[in-house]
Amino acid sequence: MKDSLVLLGRVPAHPDSRCWFLAWNPTGTLLASCGGDRRVRIWGTEGDNWICKSVLSEGHQRTVRKVAWSPCGNYLASASFDATTCIWKKNQDDFECVTTLEGHENEVKSVAWAPSGNLLATCSRDKSVWVWEVDEEDEYECVSVLNSHTQDVKHVVWHPSQELLASASYDDTVKLYREEEDDWVCCATLEGHESTVWSLAFDPSGQRLASCSDDRTVRIWRQYLPGNEQGVACSGSDPSWKCICTLSGFHSRTIYDIAWCSLTGALATACGDDAIRVFEEDPGSDPQQPTFSLTAHLPQAHSQDVNCVAWNPKKRGLLASCSDDGEMAFWKYQRLEGL
Amino acid sequence: SAGWRSPREGTGRAAAMAGGQDLFDAIVMADNRFHGEGYQEGYEEGSSLGIIEGRQHGTVYGAKIGSEIGCYQGFAFAWRCLLHSRATEKDSRKMKVLESLISMIQKFPYGDPTYANLHEDLDRIRGKFKQLCSLLNVQPDFKISAEGSGLSF
Repeated sequence: MKDSLVLLGRVPAHPDSRCWFLAWNPTGTLLASCGGDRRVRIWGTEGDNWICKSVLSEGHQRTVRKVAWSPCGNYLASASFDATTCIWKKNQDDFECVTTLEGHENEVKSVAWAPSGNLLATCSRDKSVWVWEVDEEDEYECVSVLNSHTQDVKHVVWHPSQELLASASYDDTVKLYREEEDDWVCCATLEGHESTVWSLAFDPSGQRLASCSDDRTVRIWRQYLPGNEQGVACSGSDPSWKCICTLSGFHSRTIYDIAWCSLTGALATACGDDAIRVFEEDPGSDPQQPTFSLTAHLPQAHSQDVNCVAWNPKKRGLLASCSDDGEMAFWKYQRLEGL
Repeated sequence: SAGWRSPREGTGRAAAMAGGQDLFDAIVMADNRFHGEGYQEGYEEGSSLGIIEGRQHGTVYGAKIGSEIGCYQGFAFAWRCLLHSRATEKDSRKMKVLESLISMIQKFPYGDPTYANLHEDLDRIRGKFKQLCSLLNVQPDFKISAEGSGLSF
């Protein structure tokens, strides 16, 4: 089973610091990394080697926790513990900070671009989620401040094709938001995890959402529209989200990140036990009660906590990961026949 | 003779005094009786103290919420005056958010402390205020109470 995840290379991305998060650009040619050294680095390949193409060092006073590429690939957003989010514009290999978004009271934990590229979401330890609108002149206006969570908000992610936003929190819940009459409202609360929810990932269709938690489980939630054949109750016109699968017993520590590959449908997790795991849905399993199997497990993927896993959006099975040890690593995932 | 009585059955003072045969009951049951009387007295005293404490707590927190919302309202009214005279098309969202904040403040049920969505509505007002500050690009110099959602009741 180990052979199905092969190491391609390791890079000391943020030496003497933590590497917190990785983001592939939409074409899968560049990888952005961020870390405790307050820097964002942009990586590209030259031959078989990963080369640092740029360092974005002016911008943040504290740890950069997450980065996100705009759907067009021309902008990069970076969320920092200094309470700000920077928007960087790409000019060939150079990046220029064009806007700094302020407003959160303290650490910004995550940032995400909506599929249209016109909306941006940020979340913070101040328990709020902010939605920003971008106009043609790169001006950002806050369209909503959502105070639905009762604790630190760890992660935000958009639905792959709709303007539906999801957030994960230290209050053990996942919340979903949609626009309603010039404002945004919380339209669903997903309860079930027994501890902090660290990260979220939609499946390629957007019909299912995977969440990972400090309770060492992964949960898969499925959307049920009003009037669904399965008889899952919905309130009003809002769809209802139901947990249809819980992956427990696989992870021995907190699961910090989860990534759902849009090409293969494989689910990768980053865990506090230094391991990377990959799961795949069993062929022919019931869509209302799917089962997943562990198809790869790499116990010592890094020497410390694995913070992030990211599937390349264009190259099947290319997985990047990063860790508290400051390194990032590249893996080739291939499901072996006969498993 | 009434014979042996289970102490669990308990007995009133009158019953104990009635027949000489229950003479010892008064002593045997004293523990039980004093416990009951003590509980009753304590309960009454506690209730009365609790009402006083609850009223004080409610007054303090009610005043805090009132003062917080009052600040938002003053801020919003001042900005409505400022923007009204020179609002351009670019300010349309500011005006909309400003009016929405004022309407939320006006709709807030100040007279109903048992209103179920009190904290939810208060959090929505706080969010709207923060959004307005962001749009106006100002940082208010008054301190917003750090309680956040859910007061420590």
